[in-house]
Amino acid sequence: MSIKTSSAEGAGQDSPSTTAPLSAAARLRRVRWYQEPRWRRLGALLALAVTLRLMTGEEGTTQDLFLALREDFTGVGLWVWLAIAVAVWAVREFLADQTSSAVEGTKKVSAGPLERVRQVWSADKRVRMGVLTAVLALVVFGPLGVERYWQQVLVDQIAIFVLLAIGLNVVIGWAGLLDLGFIAFFAIGAYSAAYWTGSLPVQPPVALNNFLVLPIAVLTCLVAGVILGAPTLRLRGDYLAIVTLGFHEIVYLMAKNADGVTEGARGVKVDRFSIDLGFFSYEWKLDPMPYYWLLVVFIVLAIFLFLRLEHSKVGRAWTAIREDEVAAAATGVPTVRYKLMAFAIGASTSGVAGVAYASKVGYFNPENFAILLSILVLAYVIFGGMGSIPGVLFGAAFLVWLPEYLREWVDPKDRYMYLGALLVIMMIYRPQGVLPSRRRKRELRMAEAGVGGADATGPAEGRQP
Amino acid sequence: MSLSEFWDFLVLGVVLGSLYAVIAIGYTLVYGVLQLLNFAHSEVFMFGGYGGLLALTALIPESTPSGMGSVAYVLIGMLAGAALGGAVAFGLERVAYRPLRRHRAPRLVFLITAIGASFFLYNLAGKLFGRNPLPMPSMYENKKVLSVFGAELTITQVLILVSAVAMMVGLDYVVNRTKMGSGIRAVAQDPEVASLMGVDIDKVVSRTFVLGGLLGGAAGFLFGTNSQVWYTMGFLPGITAFAAAVLGGIGNVRGAMLGGLMLGVVETMTVGLWGDDWRYVGAFVVLVLVLMVRPTGILGERVGRTA
Amino acid sequence: MLNKTIVKLAIPMAVGALALTGCGGGDSGSGDAYKIAFQGPLSGDNVQLGQNMENGIKLAIDQANAGGDLGFEVEYVPVDDQGLPDKATAAAQKAIDDESVVAVIGPAFSGPADTAAEVYGAAGLVALSSSATRPDLTTKGYETFLRAVPNDSAQGAGMAKYLSGKVKAEKVVVVDDKTDYGIGLADVAEKDLKAAGVEVVRQSVPQKTPDYSAAAKNVTKNKPDALVYAGYYQDAGPFAKKLKEAGFDGVAMSGDGTNDAQFIQLAGDASDGWLLTCPCTDATKEDATKKFAADYEKEFKQAPGTYSAESYDAAMMIIEEIKKLHEDGGVERQALVDALRAAKYKGLTKEFSFDDKGEFTNQTIYLYQVKGEGIEYQGSVDELAG
Repeated sequence: MSIKTSSAEGAGQDSPSTTAPLSAAARLRRVRWYQEPRWRRLGALLALAVTLRLMTGEEGTTQDLFLALREDFTGVGLWVWLAIAVAVWAVREFLADQTSSAVEGTKKVSAGPLERVRQVWSADKRVRMGVLTAVLALVVFGPLGVERYWQQVLVDQIAIFVLLAIGLNVVIGWAGLLDLGFIAFFAIGAYSAAYWTGSLPVQPPVALNNFLVLPIAVLTCLVAGVILGAPTLRLRGDYLAIVTLGFHEIVYLMAKNADGVTEGARGVKVDRFSIDLGFFSYEWKLDPMPYYWLLVVFIVLAIFLFLRLEHSKVGRAWTAIREDEVAAAATGVPTVRYKLMAFAIGASTSGVAGVAYASKVGYFNPENFAILLSILVLAYVIFGGMGSIPGVLFGAAFLVWLPEYLREWVDPKDRYMYLGALLVIMMIYRPQGVLPSRRRKRELRMAEAGVGGADATGPAEGRQP
Repeated sequence: MSLSEFWDFLVLGVVLGSLYAVIAIGYTLVYGVLQLLNFAHSEVFMFGGYGGLLALTALIPESTPSGMGSVAYVLIGMLAGAALGGAVAFGLERVAYRPLRRHRAPRLVFLITAIGASFFLYNLAGKLFGRNPLPMPSMYENKKVLSVFGAELTITQVLILVSAVAMMVGLDYVVNRTKMGSGIRAVAQDPEVASLMGVDIDKVVSRTFVLGGLLGGAAGFLFGTNSQVWYTMGFLPGITAFAAAVLGGIGNVRGAMLGGLMLGVVETMTVGLWGDDWRYVGAFVVLVLVLMVRPTGILGERVGRTA
Repeated sequence: MLNKTIVKLAIPMAVGALALTGCGGGDSGSGDAYKIAFQGPLSGDNVQLGQNMENGIKLAIDQANAGGDLGFEVEYVPVDDQGLPDKATAAAQKAIDDESVVAVIGPAFSGPADTAAEVYGAAGLVALSSSATRPDLTTKGYETFLRAVPNDSAQGAGMAKYLSGKVKAEKVVVVDDKTDYGIGLADVAEKDLKAAGVEVVRQSVPQKTPDYSAAAKNVTKNKPDALVYAGYYQDAGPFAKKLKEAGFDGVAMSGDGTNDAQFIQLAGDASDGWLLTCPCTDATKEDATKKFAADYEKEFKQAPGTYSAESYDAAMMIIEEIKKLHEDGGVERQALVDALRAAKYKGLTKEFSFDDKGEFTNQTIYLYQVKGEGIEYQGSVDELAG
């Protein structure tokens, strides 16, 4: 075992055999050659080289289990990777001064203008508004210029997941509740759309237009959120996670097994969006762009509403709960009510996304609501920077886009391997996410310095080694 | 369900549950020292299955061995599974978690690295070994050997039960009676004080991961003998075992064993009563209900006081 | 901090990785080139099935190109829908956006076919599926959707006919695997068995269940004369093992999803005696099929799997039609749709032709049985069941 005092005791027994007896402290302090940072770095790089070789190496087959391993460890590729590793290491170790000065130089050069831009940005409100308008215009009209394939991806996946991520951000980013069952509400929204448009085996009292289903779905998810949340929100972070995960699994299996109500694995065909006001009617058909603009409206609306919330009493209450629930409760914040509210708001956003999704793809089955998606949405939010709307937008858009883009570069089967590696590297490098909110950044810095936990889902006091 | 059917399903549930229990220990140990939901543990389990498969494919002759030969093969398979599982867990801790611990990242960040590592690992396994399932080579003729209240057990099932119980007893001993175990318990109770007392926290954490990995890997091999080995095989048992750890009281080793057994039995009984499609509904309904009554699991969260 | 520096150091290595993996796939040279796309699960949970089909198509294209008498080059374009309906429209759009794609094989699964067929229809691009078997797909008026495989109704009916007519089973357990395919097949089998006066117990065992022993107990506790398993070989393998352990001694039957050599590999001797239906003709005896299997194994280092040969056939059939059109002047999407609709082609697995809805005309089902190490041909179900 690694208890140092015990090894010191052991030293007394061993010392007769050693010619130059060391004091216990010296023995502990002694660093063997392979423990030196330089050689450890080499070892780590070589391990990395082997991993990269496996990642880019031969495709295995079940016919011959050892094929891939054999090829990977005997081929030239391994030596190439090892050589690159050693070269990188050598440059880092022996030419450190030159490279670091070059890096510093470019940093200095770029720091000047960047700093000025930042000043202008924070000083002038007009600049901010102007840039925001330009970005919005780009978002709205930019996609007209891309291939139809990317338009489809943009609607079916990116826009839908951005909406989902914005909703989850309220739950986890602002209120600090770890929700692993977010997609369950997405499913509830989609099945509401199917039910109220009369596409399920059970018929609704009145068949409605898809747009009219939106408020109903919001309400349904709100109620579902409260029903799930009320008894479970008193659970602490990790327990809440597993209960929401269980809730997701139950909803998913209901959708899959209750054939008579949901059509089960056969899936449901749903009508697409349409408006008929008598004097004006429009139908959304195969072209993805009209759906895109519709979704952009939903997203902008959601962002607007949520930003208002964040800067209101409610938002401050969430922050208080997230940073220290006990203190918040002690100062008179009704924590359960606000947590429930965050949960329900997130759920209803997910519901809206569900309706939009069902009305876009026109056909879905329970596999579209697999547990993996709940986990992925969570990853999008944290990756982008939880609590910050731009971060979440970026996180979701980038991480949904990336696997589609990787398709052109790597074997599509391996895309999620690279995505997984990226997530790990990102979290090591930038745990606060790509574009974190200012408050979150401060919380993390405090946590690193050992002052308090970063949030309700952060380390408990004094626990983190 | 008639009485004899009840015994049949109960026995099957206990066999499955003992596997869940061994996997759940991995979750609970890591949670004990780091308070971290190690989502990637299911991949450790999966690699354990491949470890056993690789070793046996390389060693086993064409025909089914008999007698002492089969005992040896089972042991080799378990050791190989445990070795690969332990190695993966060790690497996981080094690469994905240690740097985060250094700057006290919040646990949510650990969760995302765990998810990322899990994606990485199972896709890597798919790439290395192909994405079709593979059967374990037959190590013995799977005859019925034991009868409990009319429910008959095959060699594989007895093997799983015996090995799982042995592993659980062994682990309980290690945690409660050895110096390594007292290190783990010390860190779980209070890492800062433990570190002041001279415990090398990095080493304890690393060993905890390896310990969980050894058990998870061996369980992966046993699972493979009972069904088959494929690259996403860790996912469902992983989630169930995770639920089992929470059910028993996460961080509590005996709780994890109890939770695993319970979920195994509940699942199998649900299957017996309503069919296989409701398997996880039963498990999760029980989980949610128990947590509502006892928010910290059946035996309670007794991090550090694992005995 | 060690790891941080390693990440820094890793960046040049990652660049190297991109350089290594990025290259490959050169230009196809001069002359006319037509592209055939395949839409199916090329990543995600069902990737193995997609890979079986993709390899079959690749093999067909390689062989056609190597033949040298085409006068043009055929290229392969993969479009991945992950087997999910919501990814299918984007995937279809990818094939449509590439203007030199003249035909699509797929969508592989029925769910994605339902969403993608509409898009293909609007673009006038033929979608020839060799595996989407849900019966209603051809009744929805998708203009360019052709099905090169008998639908579930035919196979389910064949199973029911054999079990009621030949085996004279009185009680049958029908188990599906909760997939599109399994449920469709099991529904038809259940309906037809009931119509023939057989008592049916319907059960579901979702794919990738961690433990099949409880499912096997559920089957044996009903004491059936026969079992129908509607699912794929990955799950039929362990299921068969557990059924044997549970002491099931009735007739076990499964469909084309299980009709695969890997079923025997996974189930071992527990697969002995299983009856397997398939819309494919006696494939094991013909030289062409043997050659196909050998070529396939040589090329991809694994045995052909479910739907490999069917996809190979589909690709060969399309190439043949392209060739005819090419000789007549030029290949256009719409012209190819019409040509394929009218086409007749004898492939490895069956004879292909379509009715006016794009449904496969030849609905004969054949029966096979696992005996020892191989799958043996028994004859057509209609003849056997008399």
